[in-house]
Amino acid sequence: MSVRVNPRLIKELEDFGAEDVSKCYHCGNCSAACPFSDDPVIFPRRAMRYLQMGASSRLRTTLSPWLCYYCGECSEQCPRGAEPGETMMSLRRWLTSQYDITGISSWMYRSWQNQILFMVLLAVLTGVGLVYYGFNFGGGSLSVYEGEQAFLPHHFVHIFDWVMGGVIFTLLGINMLRMWYFLMRGDTARPVPLGSYISSIFLLPIHFLTQKRFSECGNKQPWKMHMMIMFGYTIMLVLIVFFLPLMQEGYNFAAHFFGYLASAGLLIGLTWALRGRLNKTLTFQQKSHHSDWVFTGMLLFLAVTGVIQHVLHRMGLPYAANLAYIVHLSGVVCFEVSQVPFGKWAHLAYRPLAMYYAHLQKESWAAGVATYDGKLPATSGAAD
Amino acid sequence: MKKIGVYVCQASDDAQGSVDLKAVAEYAGRLPGVSLARVVAANDGLAPEALAQEIRKQQLNTVVVAGYSPGFFKPAFTRALAEAGADPENVRLASFREHGVMCEQPVERAKAVVNCAVNDVPFSLAAEPALVSVNKATLVIGAGIAGIQAAIEIADAGCQVYLVERESTIGGHMAMFDKTFPTLDCAACTLTPKMVAAGTHPNIKLMILSEVKGVTGRPGEFRVKVLQHATRVDPVACVACNDCSAICPTLASSEFDVGIAKRKAIYLAFPQAVPNSYVVDPNACLWVQSGGKKCGACVKKCAKEAIHLDAKDEIVELEVGNIIVTTGYEPMDASRIERYSYGKFPNVITALEFERLSNAAGPTGGKILMKEKKLNKRTKQEEWVFEPENAKPHSVAIIHCVGSRDRNYNEYCSRVCCMYSLKFAHLVKEKLHDVDVYEYYIDMRAFGKNYEDFFERIKEEGIFVNRGRTTEVVERDGKMVVRGEDIVNDRMVEKSVDMVVLAVGLEPANGSAELAKMLGISRNDDGWFAELDYNLEANSTERGGIFLAGVCQGPKDIPDTVAQASAVAARVLRSIAIGSVQDSRSTLKLTDIEQKVRALAQSGN
Repeated sequence: MSVRVNPRLIKELEDFGAEDVSKCYHCGNCSAACPFSDDPVIFPRRAMRYLQMGASSRLRTTLSPWLCYYCGECSEQCPRGAEPGETMMSLRRWLTSQYDITGISSWMYRSWQNQILFMVLLAVLTGVGLVYYGFNFGGGSLSVYEGEQAFLPHHFVHIFDWVMGGVIFTLLGINMLRMWYFLMRGDTARPVPLGSYISSIFLLPIHFLTQKRFSECGNKQPWKMHMMIMFGYTIMLVLIVFFLPLMQEGYNFAAHFFGYLASAGLLIGLTWALRGRLNKTLTFQQKSHHSDWVFTGMLLFLAVTGVIQHVLHRMGLPYAANLAYIVHLSGVVCFEVSQVPFGKWAHLAYRPLAMYYAHLQKESWAAGVATYDGKLPATSGAAD
Repeated sequence: MKKIGVYVCQASDDAQGSVDLKAVAEYAGRLPGVSLARVVAANDGLAPEALAQEIRKQQLNTVVVAGYSPGFFKPAFTRALAEAGADPENVRLASFREHGVMCEQPVERAKAVVNCAVNDVPFSLAAEPALVSVNKATLVIGAGIAGIQAAIEIADAGCQVYLVERESTIGGHMAMFDKTFPTLDCAACTLTPKMVAAGTHPNIKLMILSEVKGVTGRPGEFRVKVLQHATRVDPVACVACNDCSAICPTLASSEFDVGIAKRKAIYLAFPQAVPNSYVVDPNACLWVQSGGKKCGACVKKCAKEAIHLDAKDEIVELEVGNIIVTTGYEPMDASRIERYSYGKFPNVITALEFERLSNAAGPTGGKILMKEKKLNKRTKQEEWVFEPENAKPHSVAIIHCVGSRDRNYNEYCSRVCCMYSLKFAHLVKEKLHDVDVYEYYIDMRAFGKNYEDFFERIKEEGIFVNRGRTTEVVERDGKMVVRGEDIVNDRMVEKSVDMVVLAVGLEPANGSAELAKMLGISRNDDGWFAELDYNLEANSTERGGIFLAGVCQGPKDIPDTVAQASAVAARVLRSIAIGSVQDSRSTLKLTDIEQKVRALAQSGN
């Protein structure tokens, strides 16, 4: 099968963060050092090779970047400073942009100005829209926060959230389908039988909730940090999407308990993560792409503004609370729309999917049915 | 009318700044035509605007920038002159480094360099290198194969050679080896005749347990101080009967067996050692350590009365015309790479340890065996030792590029490791038939004549040669496990092995920095002595009369080392044949140079 070569691939990947790929001389240290690199999916060296060859179609169908958690062992032991760990990180960004059908993802990843422009635009549009709605269709007065006469009544915000969520997840869904197509049906793949899809479906929630592969890394600190942020975010998302009235009005114990827990998790986890990136504590924090700053920074901003609007509301300052709420909601739209289908947030969907697909491929590969990350079925032509 | 400003600039790394810059500036200030002379400190930070102001104020039209690396400061002065409205071309450099100020009268030399620059006279015109009549004796520092080869070549031509070696025997690392690649010749069989030739040659004076402590003088007439540690045994009287060693109660780790075996406090490094007479290790000898109160058994035992435990170290002064540096290398310390578990797992051994293990004169009589835990009856402690009755390994892994081609350790390729690793694989396979050998390599650098054939032959012998290095040696269920990527076959390999041999890279010999300082020669970034020109002057140094041969100039194998050693002998013999040597650092006095400069400047005007 012929492979079209893109000689500028290394150069293109520089925008996504990988700067030292060409230094690699293929000693195999990184693959030997990686605790997850195992027959037949060997990484990160194979990805480095594909990059040097410019085999972008091969890279697009590989799932190995999603199996890497960037513990940094490979980069620490690289004799050439080729940063294989950072390359895998960049490949995850690149793959996100490849799965995206609109091209917005690639446009934002390639320059921080684009990213900021897109996000500011979204925030301003939302803010203006909300204010317009509040004065013309909502309560009309910024001094009312609670109840039916509120500036932004919760039934409106609820519907607003649902509509936004619908749009975002449709976009993400299309990208997820493309991911499935590239990995499971693309030009190097042999299809996995439908039965396996169903019998292994339980893996998806397990990987999503426990991130158990991440916890198998030598250093547990990044996993703990990640769990705090992930659970904080997910709990908050569930509360807002399904239980918003309970949060906004009255003193429902369960909603508030979980709300405060999630806020604390987010604030602690994100501060921890940002501090690490600022001080470059761990190997994976040595280099930060602009998308990393935007993701962590914006999420912290949302957590902080969310807490502020809640505090102001409970302190009996409806005017200030409404202003904070508008800022918070603008931030939410800007973050969700830019990050969920097009940005770093997408890995919340792609990672468990990749684990799931990897499991399916491996099973069927061993049985001689499917290909595993581009490798022919075990019985038919595995190199030996 | 010229108005010259002289700026004497301090080097930012003042490592070699032994010159009194103030004195140089004062001298420059007194030269005709100079209206300003001052020292510029390294931390001054040269602002062209401020300099321009100064130049305008003093109405300077020419600037002389003096110092170790004046070129570094030149751009600031060019800009300053342009800003002051003068011709920016009028910047002249007076480089201390280029014109050999690192000599015995650095200030005089620096003044001369500045004087030439002020008068616009090329330094080479004013200070022609002087010809010095050459002393026919030659000093060779280091008696490995390179030193022995060069010494024999020169001595055969009828000239005196002093061969200085800091160990107790000559022969260097090659004497420790079992076989040499790619011919698989017995190293001892090819080397020992040369060692004996060097030891018995009437024109070679061997100085073992000796170190060069100081070098003065100039090319053609060096004066060298050598510290000769006492051997405490009269080499003429000693017949190497071994009676003294047999009775000696003290054991110490053997340098020649790189620590995998023990020797007595009075010992012969190995049976074919040259000179073939015993020496005493003063740090282990009970008599020496107790100040003559204890032991002394060997003195009583020696029938030839050759042992003098109270002998003192001596400092010997030599006068030689040329010096050849053949100090060789040190294997890299494998324990620096913790992941390979050297020093943690007993059966992870280094290349040199393997050489001794495989050598017929080694602790196991040439059998390749594993280390085993044995009770030391003397100290009542368990120790891991090689002994002839130990078990054989059934699988051996050889890890290439240990500490080489790695920016975390040494960035250079040590050049010999690939080939000696292939040789090890062959030796293991040859001596133990039911054994698996795995080589983990990055690139196979079989660069020399017949080396590629050797590589092909090893592969045919059934050795598993794995393209892909490994990162660690771990223990699993009592066995060592080596994991790596098999890049050629695109799979992971994980082998459990009984023995791991680390193909450690080469590093400059201990004391190279001090020696370079003493000799006034420089070293490359990697620490190897710097040759004058990479291609055409690979065995000369920037200093006349001092030459390099062998690994001390850069990693190389035995054939290349021997070739370079012979070539160096030709360089030395050339100077002896001419009868004189050029001193690249002029021997002219400052007053002579001043006179010449004046004459040249006048004729030029």
